[in-house]
Amino acid sequence: MISFAGTRSGRAPLTWGQRAIWDAIRRTAPDDRYFNFGRVLEVPRGARPASAAYVSRGIGLLVERHEALRTLVGPGACQDLRDRGVLPVRIAAGADPDLVLAELSATAFDYADEWPLRVGLVTGGGPLHEDEVTHVVLVFCHMAADGLGAEQVVRDLRLFLLRGGLPGDPPPQPLDLARWQESAAGRRQAAAAATHWEREYRRIPATMFDLPSGAAERPPVRRAALSSPAIDLAAQRLAVRHGTSTSTVLLTAVSALVAEVTGHETVAVLPIVSNRFGRDTRTAVTTLSQEGLFVLGTGGSSGGPVRTRPGAGFADLLAAARAAVLRAYRSGYHDPGDRERIVAETSRERGVPIHPYCCFNDMRFTERATDHDDELIRRAPSETSLTWPLSQDELNCRFCVHVSDATRVSVTADTRWLSKADIERYLLGLERLLVEAALR
Amino acid sequence: MRSTGDPGAERDRMLKERLAELVSESCDGEITTAEALEATVPLSYLGVTSLAQMRLIDALEREYGVEIDLGGDVSFLDSVDGLAAWVSAAR
Repeated sequence: MISFAGTRSGRAPLTWGQRAIWDAIRRTAPDDRYFNFGRVLEVPRGARPASAAYVSRGIGLLVERHEALRTLVGPGACQDLRDRGVLPVRIAAGADPDLVLAELSATAFDYADEWPLRVGLVTGGGPLHEDEVTHVVLVFCHMAADGLGAEQVVRDLRLFLLRGGLPGDPPPQPLDLARWQESAAGRRQAAAAATHWEREYRRIPATMFDLPSGAAERPPVRRAALSSPAIDLAAQRLAVRHGTSTSTVLLTAVSALVAEVTGHETVAVLPIVSNRFGRDTRTAVTTLSQEGLFVLGTGGSSGGPVRTRPGAGFADLLAAARAAVLRAYRSGYHDPGDRERIVAETSRERGVPIHPYCCFNDMRFTERATDHDDELIRRAPSETSLTWPLSQDELNCRFCVHVSDATRVSVTADTRWLSKADIERYLLGLERLLVEAALR
Repeated sequence: MRSTGDPGAERDRMLKERLAELVSESCDGEITTAEALEATVPLSYLGVTSLAQMRLIDALEREYGVEIDLGGDVSFLDSVDGLAAWVSAAR
């Protein structure tokens, strides 16, 4: 158990980011454990031996410093910051940290009554190292942090373990963000983002995957994960050649292939945007990431077939994606209340529910791009492998692409709209599109 | 010859240096201030990614009190000269 005592308590409306993930959690329940995620920190060499008491003190300091880690979901879906409490700790002697991570992630959080951080300490085991912590396992409720927020917690913990303290003032807290979002400046940001959503929601296809697959699985939601060095190498070359990032290359390729699979010339994809572009928010521990709206026209002006054939067409798409990506990024920092209103209005006007149900989440913290020779790229697809790591009943989307590292891309899809066979074809098609475009 | 004695040119030079600094900060020093100033190819080819461009946009809006409309041509983001011309026109 870790006791903590922070400096303040209080209630405030959910921030935009909290509200967005809260909506997703509610739509995915009872399968909302889907949103749990965690990190394993190996105790750095310079901090060993670290006792369970020492590591626990560090975690207590983190919970005091980052208010998101002691914020619950209060009545009427507000943020309910508590100043003090006791955090349970699971001590696992001699255990595999990844198994502890899986165990602590296995059930959904009790959002109103459970601290949004689960902690496991893996100790060395045996009489000599009984109390020596080798790994710290942290599982986050997505209401408390997104990937970059969790990364900050891990960094802070590492720093504490090495130095015994945490320098500097804490970054902005969720209570402060909620206040800013309600201010005049916050409303200006919201209005600018809403303009983009509104304009695009009047013209994008009502949804991207609109034809039943006729091949629903039980349970219907499946994930295929492609391990593909070829995608990495090809995306890097395309990024270097066209002066862009591998993230934009992948988003563009994903969009092009969605156009091909669905027949929609205008493609709307919701990339998960970090919303950490300002200096002040870069290190905030909270969920700032939200969906942005990326819209790409893939058709020729003649209305001919979509230009997803590799080669010149892809270069044109990348050029068009340049500004579209910036617009999408800016639309990420929006008020979900505005978006809800826009969805309702445009759906009423168009007589059909408008929602792309097609998202893209590049979860990498950093990326790099260097060129590689033809032969390496040509040979790489022989190392590709595909697995099916997840199946469940509920998901708040129909088609989700995750990039977890440069060589690993997954599609989580509702097989009522895209069959298992088509999910596999999609991922292999993505690799082929990128490799062929890179080799031209 | 960096200083011409012409106050307009001096202002222009200072603006460009500051913008180059912001470019460098936006990409975590991936390119230096000097590299940004001397670039002969679009900055995006030197490592100013879309993420860095978003940070740059945020920094420009805060520092110069301007609002950047991403609905139009955004090629000014790709060079210090382009940024300087844009900031001068927007202020």
